Amino acid sequence: MNWSAAGLFNAAWFDNGWFDNGWFDSTIHRAMFEAALVGALGGVVGVLVVVRRLPFFTMALTHATFPGIVVAALLGIDLYLGGGLFGLLIVLAVVAFSRMRGQDLTAATGIALSGGFALGVVLVSAQDGFSKNLTHYTVGDILAVSTADLTVTLVVAVAVVLVLAALGKELLFSAFDPVGASAAGLRTVLLDLALLAVIEVTVVVTVPALGAILAVAMLVGPAATARLLTDRLALLFPISAVIGVGCGLAGVWLSTRLDIAAGASIALLVGAVFGLAFLGSAVRARLKFPAESRHPIALEVVKDGTAPL
Amino acid sequence: MIEETTTGQITTEQPGRTAALVLDRASVAYGDVPALEELDGVVHPGEAVALIGPNGAGKSTLIKALLGLVPVVRGRIEVLGTAPARARRQVAYVPQADTLDPDFPVSVEQVVMMGRYRKIGWLRRPSAADRAEVAAALEQVGLARRARDRFGTLSGGQRQRVLLARAIAARPRLLLLDEPFNGVDAVSQHALLEAMAALKEQGAAVVVSTHDLAIAHLACEEVCLLNKHQYGFGPTESVLTPERLRATYGGQALELRGDRVIVTRT
Repeated sequence: MNWSAAGLFNAAWFDNGWFDNGWFDSTIHRAMFEAALVGALGGVVGVLVVVRRLPFFTMALTHATFPGIVVAALLGIDLYLGGGLFGLLIVLAVVAFSRMRGQDLTAATGIALSGGFALGVVLVSAQDGFSKNLTHYTVGDILAVSTADLTVTLVVAVAVVLVLAALGKELLFSAFDPVGASAAGLRTVLLDLALLAVIEVTVVVTVPALGAILAVAMLVGPAATARLLTDRLALLFPISAVIGVGCGLAGVWLSTRLDIAAGASIALLVGAVFGLAFLGSAVRARLKFPAESRHPIALEVVKDGTAPL
Repeated sequence: MIEETTTGQITTEQPGRTAALVLDRASVAYGDVPALEELDGVVHPGEAVALIGPNGAGKSTLIKALLGLVPVVRGRIEVLGTAPARARRQVAYVPQADTLDPDFPVSVEQVVMMGRYRKIGWLRRPSAADRAEVAAALEQVGLARRARDRFGTLSGGQRQRVLLARAIAARPRLLLLDEPFNGVDAVSQHALLEAMAALKEQGAAVVVSTHDLAIAHLACEEVCLLNKHQYGFGPTESVLTPERLRATYGGQALELRGDRVIVTRT
């Protein structure tokens, strides 16, 4: 299957650049590089997804790009462009719906998730000879990435890191205390849109590798695991990125050694690492605070010397 | 110049001194739903006004209107001599601590630093001077030792003090506090009142919503009685009367023990 992105980024100059040194001729090497990039990007962006409590929204977004990709494939236009535009439409629809009185984000998100996915399946099933490709769209095909795909992922990763570095402290403020941030004069609507755009482009470059169903693993798992390991925001980003890269590389390696699906291997590893961290933190909490002293007020007295009423 | 207003309170306009806050027959509304109508009053620099009224009376709405987050549909609200939204740089807002996610991975000093963000500006990092302001603000609320702890590990009262420190670090001319004393222990209440008094001494005006009449007596020169409409605005001793409180709380007020505590039927 061809995930070529020639329409969006003409990769000709890259083909004569450092991707064209022989190492990237190997399918496995391209897959490794893509997995590492997607792991780092998903790990970093995932921290924002997790602290803003947006995993469900992100899952809807991954499913909502699916019909866009199908339509783009039918029309012969760029798949990233198709998925990206459709995802953007869904973001705007969900935000508009949730801003209406009496509606909440989870309802809108649930509708977008199932509706987007169903639309994609309908479009695929309406095409003769197309439906056998359904699994590629839903669980991805990281072994099929081209150097053009790598270029797109790399460009997006660099752009996302630049945006996060530039808006970091304002995004933190509006994530932690949205009313306080707008009271301080920050344009929280614009900051929210910037954050959703960052999540969206990350989803769009992750879906070809991991598929509409599995992409959410990389955007939630590493960050949720890092959150179990540290309370410090500055450490969350590197820890999450390292977990993402590690799971990505190990997943591709496992899939070639055992001849199993690469995307699913990566997602399984992400889940396993989270499970281990969860068990570890539960054991640690039990060792640190034996059952009888685990009351939060008791802890407060010990730390501060004054008991809250 | 002394003038008698429609609600029967006396406002003193002192020439040459910009009022921190002017309400002039102001009504605010969410869309078509009116929230507060016909508010009148003036607060001067160095003074504090207590917003008193039952739950749902519109105290939080008034604070949001003073920030320019809820529109004034009739009349006028002036903050530091200009429109509320344009005064935000010089206004600090202290939300109720329990409205914030206690699991958020942010340290106490990071929260206080947020008060400096507007002065730091986009794309820039905090300077040594900003860090010194943060340390001084935490010292002022008595939590310097907890600077590195995660915000969510502190008690409710301590979190409220951290949020006040965030406001102090912004060096505001008007401070808005939304129910800062709810569920707050005695130690934290004392620390909050001291920090508020210090800000007033430096010339900041304070608007604080509260259910606690004792605190209004203790810390506020002025009182604004609210329940959709204004039931009085003026000096604490003359406005905070049992009659006016019963009118403000309507059927909800059962009795007033002394003039300190309201016991409500709900």
